[in-house]
Amino acid sequence: MKTFLRIVAGLVVLGGIALLAFIFVPVQRTQPVAELPADWQPEPGQGEYVLNASDCVACHTSDEGGTLAGGKAIASPMGTIWSTNITPDPETGIGNWSFDDFRGAMIDGVEPDGTHLYPAMPYENYRLMTEEDMRALYDYLMTEVQPVKNEVEETALSFPFNLRFGIRAWNWLALTHGPGFTPAEVSDVQDRGQYLVEGPGHCAACHSPRSPFMSQDGVTVDDANFLAGGVINGWNAPALRGEDSDLNRWTVSETAAYLATGRNAHSTANGEMGLVVEHSLQKLTDEDNIAMAAFLKGLDGDAVEVPETLAPRAGSIEVPEADKAGEADTAMLIDSDPDMPLGARLYTDNCIGCHFATGKGAPEIFPELQGNRLVNGSETKPLISVILNGAEVASTAKRPMTLRMQGYADRLSDEEVAELATWLRGAWGNDAPAISAADVAAVRASAASH
Amino acid sequence: MSHSRGWPLPRKRRKAPPPVPLEDYDRAYLNADEWAFVMAATARLIPSDGDGPGAIETRVPVFIDLQLAGDYGAAGDWYMEGPHDPSAEPARGWQSPLNPAEVYRQAIPAFDAWCEETHGEIFAKLSPEQQDASLTSLQKGDVGLPSELRDFFTILLANTKEGYFADPIYGGNHGMQSWVYIGFPGARAAYRAWPERHNVKYPLGPVSISGERA
Repeated sequence: MKTFLRIVAGLVVLGGIALLAFIFVPVQRTQPVAELPADWQPEPGQGEYVLNASDCVACHTSDEGGTLAGGKAIASPMGTIWSTNITPDPETGIGNWSFDDFRGAMIDGVEPDGTHLYPAMPYENYRLMTEEDMRALYDYLMTEVQPVKNEVEETALSFPFNLRFGIRAWNWLALTHGPGFTPAEVSDVQDRGQYLVEGPGHCAACHSPRSPFMSQDGVTVDDANFLAGGVINGWNAPALRGEDSDLNRWTVSETAAYLATGRNAHSTANGEMGLVVEHSLQKLTDEDNIAMAAFLKGLDGDAVEVPETLAPRAGSIEVPEADKAGEADTAMLIDSDPDMPLGARLYTDNCIGCHFATGKGAPEIFPELQGNRLVNGSETKPLISVILNGAEVASTAKRPMTLRMQGYADRLSDEEVAELATWLRGAWGNDAPAISAADVAAVRASAASH
Repeated sequence: MSHSRGWPLPRKRRKAPPPVPLEDYDRAYLNADEWAFVMAATARLIPSDGDGPGAIETRVPVFIDLQLAGDYGAAGDWYMEGPHDPSAEPARGWQSPLNPAEVYRQAIPAFDAWCEETHGEIFAKLSPEQQDASLTSLQKGDVGLPSELRDFFTILLANTKEGYFADPIYGGNHGMQSWVYIGFPGARAAYRAWPERHNVKYPLGPVSISGERA
């Protein structure tokens, strides 16, 4: 008996020591994947380009704080996470960080004092970046970004998520890959695309599903669920691969145009993706947007035809006619029988001028509603919100015209929006469940409270 | 595919709730005497006893009241500096130093005084036949209004037509009655396939800016 108690006591002590070690022993930073020569210098503009490709601005610039000075509220399932100041201000920013400190944040998610970053910072993805790109980015942040003194709000999640040392265990589960980039060696173009998508672009942060532990289920091209579609803040981030995906239907040029300009022959970028285009993708070279599009197109092993340039189409673009799946509804809308279903009547009275009886819209201006991911999404908030509040596709360098859809909140009741949305989700071959007036009322109320 | 909703929605029609009766209408610009005149005059310009709806059922007086209270009444975006030449051709545009709201305000009592002198009663109290005769005199310039009021009949008639045919959001054309009457389907912008369908009646009723359908 005594021996047994002694063993138990010993185990408790060991466990306690292990727990203390878990909490207090500093995390060992991962070694860099490459040693740069002492005289290594980034190419002119390289750091800013990496910054754009990594879309740092998306989180680290708030409306009030100044560029890259943090303080933006990032909604997460655990609560609000406040982004940090990454300007070189020594007191409130990262002015005192060494490059090793910076790399530690990028690939291990730890601050210089060992504090774990919340994985809202996509170090799961950034750890795939090359040493050169990280160094160029670091140099840019330190020497070319204006230091801004901006004390940002401390992130204060509720228990147990406020115990940051717990992220150490989460990292054991989440960081099973990298650091460093491993090209699939398909072609130079596709490998470049793979790098941008996997690493700086951190596309998987939204477009891969999440594991039960909330880590990305699919971080690199070797993972089965890589870019198989996710849900973020009530928006579907559609699958970028698979037979049913948009990218399977779109040409490489069309996908590249979507990335570079927020619009293509089929669709427009809304919500978070619209911001990604505005802040990041439109600033990349055509070659890089083509590379990403080519990589995504070849993700399922298909042969890929890579266009040489992203030249805009010359002349006028034909408005597409109805296809087999859409024929019947198109004819019904054109015939305009007063006895048509209410949803179809509402479409006729409100939407048809731009999206047309075919539901195919107008190339590069009005998105297709037939087969549209947002229309048919498992998440219904985006569709309802677009109908109620309208949508805007930002001006981009190559396509400066801002595309704007008006909102119909004043024109349609909750019941009417539900009828319209439900009809849209079954028209022209669309096949998604109905939307209720209560769903609409909830979105209307949340918009009103902003 | 099914879904629940609170109550069935009318498929073909959605109309605005019934408005306040014209006699209880809370006027934005016109005073009581002016209101009585506008009611009586528009009722003669587009009478209710013909084929289609009249100015009263379509609430044209409300349209005129709201317009006079707004930018139109104040000539908000018109060039209003002189010179004003009452003898100028109509094509030369507005030739009065008064804005439309001021024209209504000054012309109505002047015209009422003429009616009283000529027919023994103010315009609103005359018989329909006398009203028609008075309006004819007004149109022909036989009433002797001062030159800065010379366009009163012209704008009264134009405003009446506008109130009759404009979108209901501006207060007139209540229930889109005039559109239904003439077969105008509203600004639906979905007629691409129809110009080639000769001798086929377009079947849908109109839609208004606020989404009413008839």
